[in-house]
Amino acid sequence: MTSVPPLLRLDGIVKSFPGVRALRGVSFDVRPGEVHALLGENGAGKSTLIKVMSGVHRPDEGRVEVDGRPVDFGSPQEAQAAGIAAIYQELLLFPELSVAENVFMGHAPRLSWGGIDWDQTRARTAEILQSLDIHDLDPDTPVGALSVGNRQRVEIAKALSMNARVLIMDEPTAALTEADVERLFGIVRRLRERGVGIIYISHRLVEIFDLADRVTVLRDGEYVGTHEVRDVTEPQLISMMVGRTIDQLYPHRTANPGKVVLEAKSVAYPGTVEEASLTLRAGEIVGLAGLVGSGRSELAQILFGVTPASAGQILVDGQPVTIRSPADAKRLGIAYVPEDRGTQGLIRPMRIRHNVSLAVLKELARFFFIDRGREQELARRDIERFKIRASSMDQVVGKLSGGNQQKVVLAKWLATRPRILILDEPTRGIDVGAKAEIHKIMSELAAQGMAVLMISSELPEVLGMSDRVLVMREGRIVAGFDRAEATQERIAAAMMRSAQQERAA
Amino acid sequence: MASAVAAPGHQDRYAGLKRHEVILLFVLIAAVAVLAFRSEQFLTTGNLLNQGRLLVEVGLMALPMTFIIITGGIDLSVGSIMGLCAILLGVFWQKLGLPLGAAIALALVVGALAGFVNGWFITRVGVPPLIMTLATLALYRGLAEGISQARSVRGYPDWFFGLGQGELWGVPTQLWLLLFFFVISAIVLTYTTFGRSLYAIGNNEVAARFSGIPVDGIKIAIYTMSGLMAGLAAWVFVSRVSTTRSDMGTGLELDVITAVVLGGTSIFGGTGTILGTALGVVLIQLLKNGLALSGVKGDGTIVVIGVILILSILVSDLLRRQRGAEH
Ligand SMILES: Nc1ncnc2c1ncn2[C@@H]1O[C@H](COP(=O)(O)OP(=O)(O)OP(=O)(O)O)[C@@H](O)[C@H]1O
Ligand SMILES: [Mg+2]
Repeated sequence: MTSVPPLLRLDGIVKSFPGVRALRGVSFDVRPGEVHALLGENGAGKSTLIKVMSGVHRPDEGRVEVDGRPVDFGSPQEAQAAGIAAIYQELLLFPELSVAENVFMGHAPRLSWGGIDWDQTRARTAEILQSLDIHDLDPDTPVGALSVGNRQRVEIAKALSMNARVLIMDEPTAALTEADVERLFGIVRRLRERGVGIIYISHRLVEIFDLADRVTVLRDGEYVGTHEVRDVTEPQLISMMVGRTIDQLYPHRTANPGKVVLEAKSVAYPGTVEEASLTLRAGEIVGLAGLVGSGRSELAQILFGVTPASAGQILVDGQPVTIRSPADAKRLGIAYVPEDRGTQGLIRPMRIRHNVSLAVLKELARFFFIDRGREQELARRDIERFKIRASSMDQVVGKLSGGNQQKVVLAKWLATRPRILILDEPTRGIDVGAKAEIHKIMSELAAQGMAVLMISSELPEVLGMSDRVLVMREGRIVAGFDRAEATQERIAAAMMRSAQQERAA
Repeated sequence: MASAVAAPGHQDRYAGLKRHEVILLFVLIAAVAVLAFRSEQFLTTGNLLNQGRLLVEVGLMALPMTFIIITGGIDLSVGSIMGLCAILLGVFWQKLGLPLGAAIALALVVGALAGFVNGWFITRVGVPPLIMTLATLALYRGLAEGISQARSVRGYPDWFFGLGQGELWGVPTQLWLLLFFFVISAIVLTYTTFGRSLYAIGNNEVAARFSGIPVDGIKIAIYTMSGLMAGLAAWVFVSRVSTTRSDMGTGLELDVITAVVLGGTSIFGGTGTILGTALGVVLIQLLKNGLALSGVKGDGTIVVIGVILILSILVSDLLRRQRGAEH
């Protein structure tokens, strides 16, 4: 295998941003027909490295070679022309345009007079989707109407439409459910068989063992090493990544539920949630499982007043309440860490300091005047507590690494000191070490009497953290399990089952 | 690198916001120098104070316009609201026989109400600000013309001209008024939760809403303020020119928006300062005056202003990109 010449090779790459040396001499290569995983903590430099490969950033030092020839990409287009395509952490599709238009954006087949050949565009899109074994995606659907899993397939199709020989995927599974992950793996394996070189970033080690042939680990922008996946174990990888071992993945604790603090009775919202009921007690963590589109986030957004309930009743401390806006919910002590950090959670062009204070501006103010001292104090504490890797609290949030952005969202909402905390995919994009930290924080908060409702598409996380597990399907809560009863199989079964014979929560 | 928490670097903190203002200041100085060279009347205290008098109406309306554009909105109806308030002030006083003080107060209320209507439709019905205020630009102007019946109102008592034509400590009275609102707006935008919320809305409205910021209430408030300031501008204007006509303030929205954008407020929302707007207002007025004094015709002036606007946007965009590339 070592005899195969690499498609793409990087050597001694150095890249700095003001205040940060993101990469300090990293080497990396990918061969045809292999999946090469890239591993490292949040802010280790993974995304920066792939942006160097794909022409977004120019390295300060070091060489990039394609097929053994040195290249100097000035733009992503140049990299694409050389057969290197990337799917970034934030998907970059145009929601109003159709699947076919997105796939061939910028390089659509042309008619003789220069106009776009729509028939050809559609036909070739359908062909590419076929070749990926995707049969349920219509080239004419607008991308905005698709699930995250499907959008990702569109991104892959787009990469292939440019005849990519190297496909880079930055945390493709972060937003996917198990079933979608399986399909994605199918596609990746298919591409590998075709001889495409795949670079794969993920914080889920299981996936790396499942899929990758080789793995390269980065730490603080430094190259730690490259190994054949079959030669390493999970603990070895973790200690390479974080420089220590993590003994316990999920904190052990005994739940001590108090009185009911939140109760939803048959709440509904047209088209997404139908008669969902649940209760949440002080001091417990309730996991909410379900497929994408089962209405979990929508239920959370009803409880938080983003889309006020059209029917049903919500009680806080046994009192009926009306929640018509997030401001109402906040006043009642509810916090919601949203699923989509880019659009719902953060104001990316603003500084860390200004983001963490956004939900508590009033509390930080004296007579409408923001107390800047207290704001900085808050930011300083949060950066320390969540180990946010930033050059300073004045760094613009959009320039943080993905996982560090997620930590800012968590910090922002915990600053409100809620009594009821709703978490929607709280550890998406967060590395193993930081994930354990966040789980510890969640446990501590529950122990102090906070009621936590956690939506997660990662079943191990649901099982590891929850005192009770609720399962949602087609806008209803269809099953509930105590910690003792909950198993992966039971939850998965309840998520999928299409009939209605369960007892309600 | 560990999670380093550096003390807030002062250059870093202000660099982004101030650069545009600094450029503008240089443009302003350069413009003054050139204009002073071309006409000797230009750089005289008398002329400058008089120009100060003339820019107050645009200045008053540019303050809330800055807030609105920071949130990503726009208010095209300010010139029409000014016309409507001006005519109503006269009509309330002369035709309805109200005391002049009450007529002024009532005209201000109408201005605020006109702005509130904009804000209400924009937030509650979801009409885009551009469309809504384009509609009320026509609507309010039409109302003003219907009410005035093409007749002007004149013959105001002497005390009424104090605001528009008088002086206080050697400076035109209305300039003090503008200065007062300028300081208030700058403080509100820079130091208060309200100001911070405006930037948040302009940069990401959804996230602002998810953060519990009362987005709709804030928007209604700024459009209402805009209407109120247009009413105030009407009062200053009528007092300055001694008569009321229904075509007052026609096209003034363009001067206002130009000043704000020239001052560095991004038309896409999210950035901008009151200081920048103030510089923009002054620059436009001085250009108009200086060019007129040096014999350039009205059309020529508009061309020059247009060119300066484009240049200033290009330069600040270039700087922003450079900064983006460094970071
Ligand atoms: N455009 C930029 N400007 C300034 N700093 C940046 C920029 N892009 C990345 N950084 C910094 O470079 C470092 C590496 O970031 P990178 O995004 O490569 O991390 P990552 O390994 O992908 O992390 P994650 O797992 O959280 O996605 C971080 O400290 C980040 O803040
Ligand atoms: Mg990343």
